[in-house]
Amino acid sequence: MSRITFSLTKKRMIKNITPWLFLLPSIVILVTFLIIPIVEAFQWSFLDYKIIAGTSEFVGFSNFKEIFSDELFWKALVNTVLYVAIVLPLNVFLPMILADLVNQKVRAVGLFRVLYYLPVVTPIVVAALMWKMLYSQDGALSNFLVGIGIIDDPINFLTNSTTALMVVAFITVWKGLGYYMIIYLANLQSIPNQLYESASIDGANSIQKFTKITMPMTVPSMTLVSVLTIINGLKVFEEIALTTNGGPAGATTTLVMYIYDKFMNLEVSIASAAGLVLLVLAIVASLLQMRLTSKREDDLRA
Amino acid sequence: MDSTKWRKLLVYSLMIFITVITVGPFLYTLFIALKSSGQGIYDGILPTDPTFTNFVYAFNQTDFLQYLWNTVIVTAIAVPFNLLFSSMAGYALARIDFKGRSIVLTIIISTMTVPFQLYMAPLFQSAGELGLRNTHVGLTILQISTAFGIYFMRQAFLNVPKDLEESAYLDGANRFQVWFNVAIPLVKPTLISLAIYTFTFTWGDYLWPLINTTESSMYTLSIGLAQMSQNFNGGNLKLISAASILTTIPSLLIFIWLQKYFISGQTDGALKG
Repeated sequence: MSRITFSLTKKRMIKNITPWLFLLPSIVILVTFLIIPIVEAFQWSFLDYKIIAGTSEFVGFSNFKEIFSDELFWKALVNTVLYVAIVLPLNVFLPMILADLVNQKVRAVGLFRVLYYLPVVTPIVVAALMWKMLYSQDGALSNFLVGIGIIDDPINFLTNSTTALMVVAFITVWKGLGYYMIIYLANLQSIPNQLYESASIDGANSIQKFTKITMPMTVPSMTLVSVLTIINGLKVFEEIALTTNGGPAGATTTLVMYIYDKFMNLEVSIASAAGLVLLVLAIVASLLQMRLTSKREDDLRA
Repeated sequence: MDSTKWRKLLVYSLMIFITVITVGPFLYTLFIALKSSGQGIYDGILPTDPTFTNFVYAFNQTDFLQYLWNTVIVTAIAVPFNLLFSSMAGYALARIDFKGRSIVLTIIISTMTVPFQLYMAPLFQSAGELGLRNTHVGLTILQISTAFGIYFMRQAFLNVPKDLEESAYLDGANRFQVWFNVAIPLVKPTLISLAIYTFTFTWGDYLWPLINTTESSMYTLSIGLAQMSQNFNGGNLKLISAASILTTIPSLLIFIWLQKYFISGQTDGALKG
């Protein structure tokens, strides 16, 4: 009798412990290298933490007061918003056009999908260096624009304060085209073909089909792409650090550049406070996504 | 020509135009790398006297091989571990009903919103305390199990039918056997997508190696390239171009090799997710 109860408890114990065994490696790794550092970042933002001495003192909100009264912080915030505003419309519409093109039933379309995806798998350092050459005063872009008469004299787009942020944003767009194209492509392939067929019967042309069927049917992808663009855009770093390094005269200093500079100056508490501002912005964007796409909400509740 | 032919012509012209934009920068860089010492960097687009000297220099005159070795090791650790750990955790969260599941899932999904830049300073300190600074393992810690990977694998397991797993249980298999022998083969396209994501991210990661690496013998390709380009307007642009092309080739080869699974796996996930 007691043996039976024992083996039953043992069985139940194994049953209870199994999911945690599956989760164990990930939990250990994520707690050590993700959860604990996040919690510490929250703490540090309310401390005056000296990373080398290892001493700290509670200072309340004074780190936040300091960044909110720092002109460079506001400039970084404005630049971040401007940067996202440049990238957003391009990210929403260009990949949609690409997806529509590579969704055509024509030969070699698979090859074009691969060619459009190449920038996505390119290391960001390489992408930044390539564009830095293209954007330089003697580079191809200046030559081309002078050649067709859009600008009079060759310029270095990255050291010009009016063009710097825009051309840096274009590197991001270039690198993301293929990624967002795939999201749209999946969406396009789920649109029933009958819609297009009946539109053809009614005499609709390609452009009408695109604006009246394709665009409305890809609204879910547009939402997803917008939110991903905003969340990734808030975190932009490499494209800028490797091309303009925040210059000229702070014209491309974004929030993450600001955080990075504070970190390099060992002002880790200030960096953490600015990081929290970044987190709040990312959360707002994510909440927006959850409100706009009910599917994601279901996942959270599952 | 009838209207279908015109349409095709238009589609192909547009597709080729976009190809110029997506592939053009690679060719531009390749051409600079192929220019001989007699030709200026920006002196025409095509190399007049193509040479591989700059590629040879990249190997001989820089620590390119050392950077390549470091990058290969870090990637070779990160990819298999992320696939293993993420698919284990994702399976438990998709298939096993247990107390605390929704809390674990909510925490994992929430961390996906947190920007790395928020916690990089505490992570930098922890890595130092754990003896992970300037080590290969230290460079993999962001990738050996990821919140994104777990979520991605969970979605994949949710989308495959349960029948096969149930019949395996009737045959007396335990959870681990079912996970490994039955469920894993069903999510192969998703695993391949995750492998490409992890490879791409680890191979090209910049910010974490930048702060966690202080010794040049531990530089990855990204850090090495960035260091070389510090004196960008100097005469080493052809060398940098050659090194850039060499750095990109492994990513391209792996992507081209696996793209068939990749693009279908990704679209499946997006369709059903």
